[in-house]
Amino acid sequence: MRLASDTGGTFTDLVVEEDDGRITMYKSPTVPDDPVLGVLRALELAAEDRGLSLQELMARADTFIHGTTHAINAIITGNVARTALLVTKGHRDILVFREGGRVEPFNQSIPFPRPYIPRDLTYEIPERILSTGAIHRDLDEAAVIGVLQSLKEQQVEAVAVCLLWATINPAHELRVGELIAEHLPGVPYTLAHDVNPTLREFRRASSAAIDASLKPLMGHYLSGLTDRIRGEGFTGDIMLLTSSGGMVDAAEVARSPIKVINSGPSMAPISGHYYARAEAQADDVIVADTGGTTYDISLVRKGVVPITRELWIGRPLLGHLVGYPSVEVKSVGAGGGSIAHVDQGGLLRVGPQSAGAKPGPVCYRQGGTKPTVTDASVALGHIDPDFFLGGRIKLDRPAAIEAIRKQVAEPLGMSVDEASWQIIALATEGMVQAIADITVAQGIDPANAVLIGGGGAAGLNSTFIARRLGCKSLVIPETGAALSAAGAMMSPLISEYATSIFVSSDRFDREALAAAIERLRAKCEDFASRSPAASGAPRISFVAEARYEGQVWDIDVKFDPQKILGPDGSEIFRAGFDDMHEQIFAVRDPGSAVEIIGIRATLRADIRRDVEFRLHSPGALSGDHRPREIYFHGYGRLQTPVLRLEAIAPGRPGQGPAIIESAFTTIVVDPDARFHRSGTGSIVIHP
Amino acid sequence: MTTTALNGAELAILNNRVEGIVRKMANTLLRTGRSGVLNRAKDFSCCIITADCHLLAAAESLPIHVLSGPDIMARTMAEFHPNLRRGDAFFHNSPYHGCSHAADLSILVPVIDADGRHRFTIFAKAHQADIGNSEPTTYMATARDIYNEGALLFPAVQVQRDYRDIADIIRMCELRIRVPEQWRGDYLATIGAVRIGERELLALGEEIGWDRLDQFAAQWFDYSENMMDAAIRELPAGRVMGRSTHDPFPGLPPEGVTVTAHVHARPDEGRITVDLSENIDCQPSGLNLSEACSRTAAMIGVFNSLDHRVPKNAGAFRRIEVILRRNCIAGITEHPYSCSAATTNISDRVGNAVQLAMAEFGDGFGMAEVGAVIAPSAGVVSGVDARSGNAFVNQIFLAFSAGAASPISDAWWTMIDVGNGGMCGLDGVELDEIYQPLLVESRRFVTDTEGAGRFTGAPSTEVVFGPVQGGITIAYGSDGQVNPPQGVRGGGPGGGSDQFIRRKDGTVEPLPPVAQVELREGEMIIAISTGGGGYGPPADRDAAAVARDVREGYVSTDRARTVYGVVLDGQGQVDLAATETRRAEMMA
Repeated sequence: MRLASDTGGTFTDLVVEEDDGRITMYKSPTVPDDPVLGVLRALELAAEDRGLSLQELMARADTFIHGTTHAINAIITGNVARTALLVTKGHRDILVFREGGRVEPFNQSIPFPRPYIPRDLTYEIPERILSTGAIHRDLDEAAVIGVLQSLKEQQVEAVAVCLLWATINPAHELRVGELIAEHLPGVPYTLAHDVNPTLREFRRASSAAIDASLKPLMGHYLSGLTDRIRGEGFTGDIMLLTSSGGMVDAAEVARSPIKVINSGPSMAPISGHYYARAEAQADDVIVADTGGTTYDISLVRKGVVPITRELWIGRPLLGHLVGYPSVEVKSVGAGGGSIAHVDQGGLLRVGPQSAGAKPGPVCYRQGGTKPTVTDASVALGHIDPDFFLGGRIKLDRPAAIEAIRKQVAEPLGMSVDEASWQIIALATEGMVQAIADITVAQGIDPANAVLIGGGGAAGLNSTFIARRLGCKSLVIPETGAALSAAGAMMSPLISEYATSIFVSSDRFDREALAAAIERLRAKCEDFASRSPAASGAPRISFVAEARYEGQVWDIDVKFDPQKILGPDGSEIFRAGFDDMHEQIFAVRDPGSAVEIIGIRATLRADIRRDVEFRLHSPGALSGDHRPREIYFHGYGRLQTPVLRLEAIAPGRPGQGPAIIESAFTTIVVDPDARFHRSGTGSIVIHP
Repeated sequence: MTTTALNGAELAILNNRVEGIVRKMANTLLRTGRSGVLNRAKDFSCCIITADCHLLAAAESLPIHVLSGPDIMARTMAEFHPNLRRGDAFFHNSPYHGCSHAADLSILVPVIDADGRHRFTIFAKAHQADIGNSEPTTYMATARDIYNEGALLFPAVQVQRDYRDIADIIRMCELRIRVPEQWRGDYLATIGAVRIGERELLALGEEIGWDRLDQFAAQWFDYSENMMDAAIRELPAGRVMGRSTHDPFPGLPPEGVTVTAHVHARPDEGRITVDLSENIDCQPSGLNLSEACSRTAAMIGVFNSLDHRVPKNAGAFRRIEVILRRNCIAGITEHPYSCSAATTNISDRVGNAVQLAMAEFGDGFGMAEVGAVIAPSAGVVSGVDARSGNAFVNQIFLAFSAGAASPISDAWWTMIDVGNGGMCGLDGVELDEIYQPLLVESRRFVTDTEGAGRFTGAPSTEVVFGPVQGGITIAYGSDGQVNPPQGVRGGGPGGGSDQFIRRKDGTVEPLPPVAQVELREGEMIIAISTGGGGYGPPADRDAAAVARDVREGYVSTDRARTVYGVVLDGQGQVDLAATETRRAEMMA
C-alpha cells in the first residue's frame, strides 16, 4: 500500500493506493501550527474507512510520499532561521547588487529590494581564488574563526558560504565548512558551490542563503514527521516531493531543503497531463489548482511540463532567486478563503487577504466574521451546507448570507444574490488574468488548450473561467480535489545531478567528457540503490548545457552518452545543438565553436505500475439529491437538478443548469454549458 | 473592410499577445548575444511599429532607446525603400535619421502580408561593443565631429534580401568593427530576434486577420491616449522650469552645460508641453543629442512624474509636445556634429531638468535628480587578453546606482541613468573576470552617499579593479563630479562621482573625468559612481527606516543625527525623545 499526502493552506489531502491498484482519497483540515497533525488526521480517516486502527494501516503501507508548503510559507512569512552569509573579502554586497535589471522602468513607487540576508549579517572572509582556480590569496583561517565567534555572539542559527570561483576550486569553501562544523557545532550551513554549482556569484549566494535559512526549520519538521509516522508503526520509505516534479528521500531534503520549495504544486501538472491525455484532449494543458488561500497555475506545453531554472519567490527581479530547477508554477493569492469587502471608494474587492484555515469562512463557524468566496458559493446555493465534504462539516448558511448582506450587498446597494455573484465574478476575473499572464509567457493560446480544474473548490467557478479564456473544454478529474497528491502517486522517483565541465567542439576532450558522464552515472546508480521504492529499472538521461563560443546563456541539448563518446561524437552533438538553437532562436552559426559548460544526469525510476488510475467508489451510493433553488447570473433563481458524481453514467450528454456533487467537490454547471462524464471518471464541461 | 470594435477583454488579450512577441524577441537577443553589453547588461530594445510608423509596443525596453526614434527610423526605411518585400532587413544607426546614436545598430524588418502589403515593422536595437570609432569606445565624448568619431553609419541600408545576408555589407562591417567575430555573433542574435518577431506577428495576423490587428492598434492608441489624458489632469495647471548641469568635459564650455527645460501643463486639455529650445548650440563634442534622444529624454522626464500605468506608445505621445531647435545641443543635431554619447550625458540632463521642473508643481510631483554616467566601472575595456592572446573590446557593467527618490518611495538603486530606467543588468564579478582579463578587488555601496530625504536616493558605488594579467585599456567619461545629483523639495544631494589610479606601489593618484587609461598588471582603478538625489526634508523620514539604514551600514550614526535628526541609543534603537528634540531644533 502506498500513501501520498499533500499539505495545502487549508486542507491536507491524502491519496491511498492499495496493492491491487484501487485508489481512495481523503481530505482533512490543515493544522497550521502542527502540519504533521493534519497529515495524521487524514491518515486516521483512511484507517477508519477500512475499519483499521492507524497503526494497522501504517503497518500495511510501504511508501509514504509527502508534499509540503512548509518551506515556502516560512520564507514568505519571514519565519526562517537567523542566517549569516560569508563571502569573499571585498564583496559584501553580492546580494545587494543582485544582477541589476528592473521590470517597470517608469514605476517609481517600488523601492530597491532588500537582500535575503541583511547586510549586517554578511561577513567578509579574507581569501581569493581566480577564474582559473588558482589561489590569489590564501584563506585566512584565523579571520574565519574570528567571524565565527561573532556569529555565535549574534546568535546566528544557520550559515551560508559563497566564495568567488568556488565552483572551479572549492578548497576554501570546503575548509570554511569544516571550520563552521568545528567552531559552531550543530549550526547547519550550506556551501554555495554544492547547492547550485553555477557561474554567477549572485545566483549561488542566493541559493545558499535560502537553503541554509531553511535548514533548522525543515530539519525539525522532517524529523518530527519521520518520528511521528514511524511512531505509528510505519517502516517503509518516506519520500518528499521536489520542486522539479520528482521525489527524493526525506533525509536528502534535510541536507538540502531548497529542493522542496515548490513541493506539492509541482505535482499538479503531472496528474493534469495524465487526465488531459486520457480524454485525448489538446497537447497544451492549463492546470489550475484551487486551494483555500492560493490559486496555482501550471502548464503542459506540447506534452512537456516546463521547468524553469529561474524560480523567484515573489515577483521576478523583486523577490528572491531560488536557483534550483522547478516546475513553472504561478501562484496568486485567490481562493475560497479570499475575503470580500467594499473599499472606501465604494469598489468591491476580493482578496488578497484570506481567512485561511483559521478562522476560515464565516459559514465554517470557527470565528470568521468576514465574508469569503466560499460564503458567496454557500449563499448562492452552489454549496449544500449539509453535504460539504460529504456532510462531515456542517456549514452555517444563514451566517454567510448575513455577513454578505451587511458587508457587501448593503454597501453596494444590491441584493444578496447579486452581491454573492459579483464576488464570484471578481474572483474569477483575477484567476483568468493570472492564467492569461502565464500562458502568454509560455506562448500558449488558451483557446487551443484544455483547462484542468483541480482542488476542492475548482468546480465552483471553473466553468466561468474556461468560458472567459475561450477554452473549448474543462476537465474536472475524479481525483481533482487532491490533484497534487494524485500526481505524487503517478510521479516517478527522480534525482538530478549536475557537474561543471568545459569541452569545446574545437578541442573535443573525450576523456574529460567520459569521466564526467561516469561520475554522474555513478551518483545516479548510488541513489537508485539507496531507494528501495524504485520498482522498474531506473533510466538515466543526459543533458548538456551548451552554447556558441562568446554566448553566456546556455541551452539544454539532450545527448546519448554512447554516441557523444563515439568516433563522430563531436559532429553529432554539434548538429543537434545547431538544430536546437535554430528552433529556439531562429538562427544557427556553423562558424562558431560550440562549448559544453555542464552536463546533467537525471535518474527516473517508475514507482507505480502503468495501470489505470481510477478512484474506488463504495458500492452503495446515496443517489441524486433533491433539486435545489440556485441563483445564476442573468437567469435568477432556477430549480436545479443535483447529481451525485459517482452515479452519473459515462458518456451521457447533459445540459446545465446542474450541480454535481461528491464527497470532495461541488461542480456548478450554469444553464449555458454542456457536460458529460468520461470513461475515466472525469466530468468534462463545454462552457 | 471594416471590423467590429474589440471589447475591453479582447483588447487586453491582444495587447498581451503583442507584448508577448516583443518579450520573446528580447529573450532571444539576451540569450544569444555574444558581447557582454547584450548578454549580460541587456543594453538592447525590441518593439513593433505600425505600417504608418507609430510605436505600438515596446515591452521591457530601455526608455531612451524607443519612445521616440524607431518611428522616425521606420519612416526613413519606407522613404528610402518604397518597395518593401518579405525577407528584407535593414541596418539603421544614423542619428541624423532617427537613431539614438551610432552605437545603437538597429535592424528593421517589414512584416509583409500574403498580399504583399506592408503591415507592421519589427524593430530591434542593440548597443554594440564597438562600431568602428577612431577610439575603442562607443561613447566618444571627445569626438569633434562625425569624421573624428569615425563610426560606420547605416541610414536604413539593406542587409538582407529574401532572408539572406547581403554579404557586401557584412564584409564592410567585419573590416571596420573591432573583434569582428564577436560583432558577427551579435548580428546573428539581432537577426534572430527580428525574424522571430516577424514569424510570430505573421502568425498572429493570419490567425485573427490583419484588419482586426489594425483595429486593435487604433483602439489601443485611443485607450492609451485616454489614460494619458487622465494622468495629465492630475497635474496643477501652469508653467514650471527645471535646470540640470553637465560637468565640464572636453569640447564643452569651461563651465559645463546647463540644460533648461520649460514645462507647461494644461490639465483642462489633458496636454503637456516641454520646451528645450532655450539651450546652447551644438558643440564640437560627442555629447550633442540626436533628435530621437532629445524628444525621448523629455518624454522620460514627463512619464517619470505621471501614473506609470499609462501605456508608452504613440497614443499617449499625442498628448506630449516637445519643442526642439535645430543646431541645439539638446535639440536636433545636424551632420556633421557628433552624437556619439547622445543616449547618456546630455540626455540625462534633459530628463532630469524635466522631472525637477515637475517637482516645482508641489509636494507629490516630479522626482529628484537621477545620477550621471559613465564611471570607469561601466566603461569600455579593450586590449589583448594575456591569458589567451585574443583581442577583446566590451563595455563592462560592474556597478552603478544613481537612482533618485520619488514623492512616494525610496529610489530604485541600480538605475544607471535617467534614460536607462534601471533596465540594464549588472555583469557580476565572475562573468567579467572570465570574459576579460580583470581582477575585481572590491565592489560595494558607499556609506553616507545616499541622497538624504523623506525618501532617499541611491548611495554611490565603488569598485576597485584592474588587469589580472598583462594590461588593459579602459575608456570612460564620468559626469556628476562637479554637479552631483540634486535633491528636491528639501531633499539632499546624492554622492558625486570620482576616479583614481592605484599604482603598483600603492600610491593613489586622481584621474580626469574623461580618459582612456592604460592599466598595467598590479595597477588598479578606483571607480566611484554617483548616487541619486533625495525627495523631501530628511527630518521627515521615518526614524525606524533611518535606524535600519544605520544598522546595515549605509548611513553613519553621526549622519543619522545631523542630517536626519534621528538619535540612536547604544543598541541602535531610535531614542524617541532625543529624536523629537533634535528634529524640533532642525525645524527651528
